[in-house]
Amino acid sequence: MTRTRSPRSAKKRPSGGLRSWLGWALKLSLVGLVVLAGFAVYLDAIVQEKFSGKRWTIPAKVYARPLELFVGQKLSKEDFLTELDALGYRRESVANGPGAAAVNGNVVDLNTRGFQFYEGLEQAQPVRVRFSGDYVAELAGAKGSKLAVVRLEPLLIGGLYPKNLEDRILIKIDQVPPYLLETLVTVEDRDFYSHFGVSPKSIARAVWVNTSSGKMRQGGSTLTQQLVKNFYLTNERSLSRKLTEAMMALLLELHYDKREILEAYLNEVFVGQDGQRAVHGFGLASQFFFSQPLSELKLHQVALLVGMVKGPSAYNPRRYPERALERRNLVLDLLAQQGVATPEQVEAAKKMPLGVTKRGSLADSSFPGFLDLVKRQLREDYRDEDLTEEGLRIFTSFDPILQMKAEASVNDTFKRLAGRKGSEDVEAAMVVTNPETGEVQAMIGSRQASFAGFNRALDAVRPIGSLIKPAVYLTALEKPSQYTLTSWLSDEAFSVKGADGQVWKPQNYDRRSHGTVFLYQGLAHSYNLSTARLGLEIGVPNVLKTLARLGVSREFPAFPSMLLGAGGLSPMEVATMYQTLANGGFNTPMRGIRSVLTAEGEPLKRYPFQIQQRFDPGSIYLIQSAMQRVMREGTGSSVYNVLPKTLALAGKTGTSNDSRDSWFAGFSQDLLAVVWLGRDDNGKTPFTGATGALQVWTSFMRKADPLPLDMPQPDNVVQAWVDSRTGQGSDANCPGAVQMPYIRGSEPPPGAACGGESPASGDSVSDWIKGWMN
Amino acid sequence: MNKWWVPAITALALLNGCSSVQRGSIPVVDAGTAVSNSERISANGGFRQTTVKRPTQAQSQNIPQDSGVVVMVPGGGATTSAPISSSPITPGPIIPGPVDSAPMQSAPINQGTYNMPSSSIPSASAGGLSADEQLDGPVLALLSTAQQQQAGGDLNGASSSLERAQRVAPREPQVLYRLAQVRMAQGDAAQAEQFARRGLTLAAGRPALQASLWGLIAQAREKQGDAAGAAVARQKAKVSL
Repeated sequence: MTRTRSPRSAKKRPSGGLRSWLGWALKLSLVGLVVLAGFAVYLDAIVQEKFSGKRWTIPAKVYARPLELFVGQKLSKEDFLTELDALGYRRESVANGPGAAAVNGNVVDLNTRGFQFYEGLEQAQPVRVRFSGDYVAELAGAKGSKLAVVRLEPLLIGGLYPKNLEDRILIKIDQVPPYLLETLVTVEDRDFYSHFGVSPKSIARAVWVNTSSGKMRQGGSTLTQQLVKNFYLTNERSLSRKLTEAMMALLLELHYDKREILEAYLNEVFVGQDGQRAVHGFGLASQFFFSQPLSELKLHQVALLVGMVKGPSAYNPRRYPERALERRNLVLDLLAQQGVATPEQVEAAKKMPLGVTKRGSLADSSFPGFLDLVKRQLREDYRDEDLTEEGLRIFTSFDPILQMKAEASVNDTFKRLAGRKGSEDVEAAMVVTNPETGEVQAMIGSRQASFAGFNRALDAVRPIGSLIKPAVYLTALEKPSQYTLTSWLSDEAFSVKGADGQVWKPQNYDRRSHGTVFLYQGLAHSYNLSTARLGLEIGVPNVLKTLARLGVSREFPAFPSMLLGAGGLSPMEVATMYQTLANGGFNTPMRGIRSVLTAEGEPLKRYPFQIQQRFDPGSIYLIQSAMQRVMREGTGSSVYNVLPKTLALAGKTGTSNDSRDSWFAGFSQDLLAVVWLGRDDNGKTPFTGATGALQVWTSFMRKADPLPLDMPQPDNVVQAWVDSRTGQGSDANCPGAVQMPYIRGSEPPPGAACGGESPASGDSVSDWIKGWMN
Repeated sequence: MNKWWVPAITALALLNGCSSVQRGSIPVVDAGTAVSNSERISANGGFRQTTVKRPTQAQSQNIPQDSGVVVMVPGGGATTSAPISSSPITPGPIIPGPVDSAPMQSAPINQGTYNMPSSSIPSASAGGLSADEQLDGPVLALLSTAQQQQAGGDLNGASSSLERAQRVAPREPQVLYRLAQVRMAQGDAAQAEQFARRGLTLAAGRPALQASLWGLIAQAREKQGDAAGAAVARQKAKVSL
């Protein structure tokens, strides 16, 4: 303060009478000048260092999978429009310019925005998509030319934020929409293009207003000063800070031109708070409030954003829509008054709604479960600073449409089952993958999917119960000379003294034994006695080896109780295990990330698709067939109360002791989902695998509408007609004959023909066949 | 109040002369760039070179070489009981059963409503590699893109495009064949063999493609130092043809 005051006092008394006074004043002002100069040099260094270097650290941005469009693709128009809405496509009567879409019946015309992907640039282009049923029937470009495949730009689903939690999307000044610069200057600093960083005129005005009102009301800050304040200084309100700010503003103007300063302002300005995250810059603000790129904003949106600069929380359009609307219209009036826009344009803009995306919509949702998975995978390859500062672009396999369907399934099912006592304390986790690619598409780590925190999909390691049974039966089916799907198993009670010295006496869920059953029935009905007997026959260590080959890396002791799923796995580990079953016996490490680009769009890293054959396709074919029986006639059969019978699905229920864990894992051709329900304190739940997790799974599959399971029959598999009661070879024409798959050579010898009766006749099949046909 | 800046700016202008670089000579750079549609990768960049440590580009992550692949060894004719060898074969040969010339059962459990409708994923139903033209639009387009990228030496890009094709048509063995070829070119013979094997499980009824896949397996095994396995695969390639 004193430093800056002294030169002024020196000038104000040039004709002071006393020499000594003058001398003192001169000396003082000289000292002051030197001190001021030193301070200015110091400030100048700060100004230049920060402005010429890396101005901001940018958190890594995480993107969902880009939606691919091609003829024959299974995609409903409804889902497509959900995606377009999330991407902030404007609905117009005729699609005009990037980010616009027009819907006419089954035809959607849109102008894509283009995007830099790992393997190249996707051009912005006009695209016409015609839907037929739930499929894309036609894909055309400009002038009706056929397009083979088109990618939309991917949805931004989050970032990896550093401790200060500042987030922004950097923009260049030539990317701003019309009116933005004019509006900003008109509202915040009308003399911007003529002043040197501080505006004496506006300071004078501010002083006048403040002294006449007696309160600090109006700041005379120029845009440059505002930038300096946010960029270099703290939020302290004092005269000395104000003076430092003014000096730095002058210095900044000295070194950089108006456009550079304005561009920095556009990126620095604080426009809102999103929980812990501070939203900075108009680039991110545009995505945050409208989910549109800044360059596409229209006059009314520009006016809202600029109006918010004055008070980002007071004018938050989501929290105080009326106040924000009033402010926006005030800004619009000012534009008309100052001649920035015509009165007609302003009138039209004032009629527009605020246009901010709704909370809970795809564009305004967070996906903490999946982002947690992404972070963990990235931390294996990158330092934290790289992730939070370098503006990396992370491309993932996340499918926002499937995620919304998964979340809705969890919510709907809990609502439906709310009557069950104790259901309110039950937590949930879910993993959705594509079995053919090993990519994670959706993840739910908590019953309230938007709650960040304990990620049960990755970290809740719970006994898997009967989910282990496919591993037991697969181990057996790998020995076709000993076991086929129609081998007999005894389902009688027994007890065994385990290696740990304890006597083990398993029981069936219904506490009854079922005599002698076909091998596949033991799996389909999830009988514990026959499964445990089979497992002991083939050896617990062998079953554990199968489990490891399926992709489970956790080690378990070879206790007999392992055969019924005493060992714990996380939902993600279960997904890995079932992935191998679903994908023809080929294991693939689960991936959530496809590739990483640098901030400049340069390829940095790829996470390639990798597979490894772990099982013979023939034995996988048989176990899939048995797992389809689970759904047709066994513990999963309630699924067909809801889903069409033409939809072939395979899966398995799992329930741990006293219903503490309710599991279901299953797959179609193109979709695999694992659901877990249970309590965090490991208490009892009112759900079994079938009454709890399977209900969520079924609801999800109904919404997702997957492709039916269709594994090509391997060369070493044959279909044979067998008698449904005896399992002996039969003939297609015999009553009660059913076709079953066998590893070539293990099928029963063919039976004699029975005459002309049609095998397809409903009367001729036995009760258990009817069971899974109905 | 409104005049204090005059001496200040005078002093600063004076000081500026000796203390700082001239306007315009300061490199002004951003640390990032816009996302979404305004994606512009400027040639000069205007961007600071990123200092992110590039992780190794190794294609092969740690998939432990598994020793548990069970091989079906048919014991002669089609109807005799087939003893199953459960001995480990990796990296040894995989010896699947003979190519089945009998008509395939399309619906394995062919009772009543329990049929398995085939997927609508585009696929070329006949022919081998020469049948490129029979592939549907998106797959063909992406295979062509990958071909160009590979020809230009961009193996990672080619790989990425092929994985894109694999997502579009996960059961098209030609895509897996091309993926295997690119993995070979990238020096990852183990993954090349795996993709070719996956391709074989989906290539029923396409003998020319089967032969090509076996041929690639032979190369991959040779590269991995498995001469015997390579010989078996070469034999298979001939049988398939």
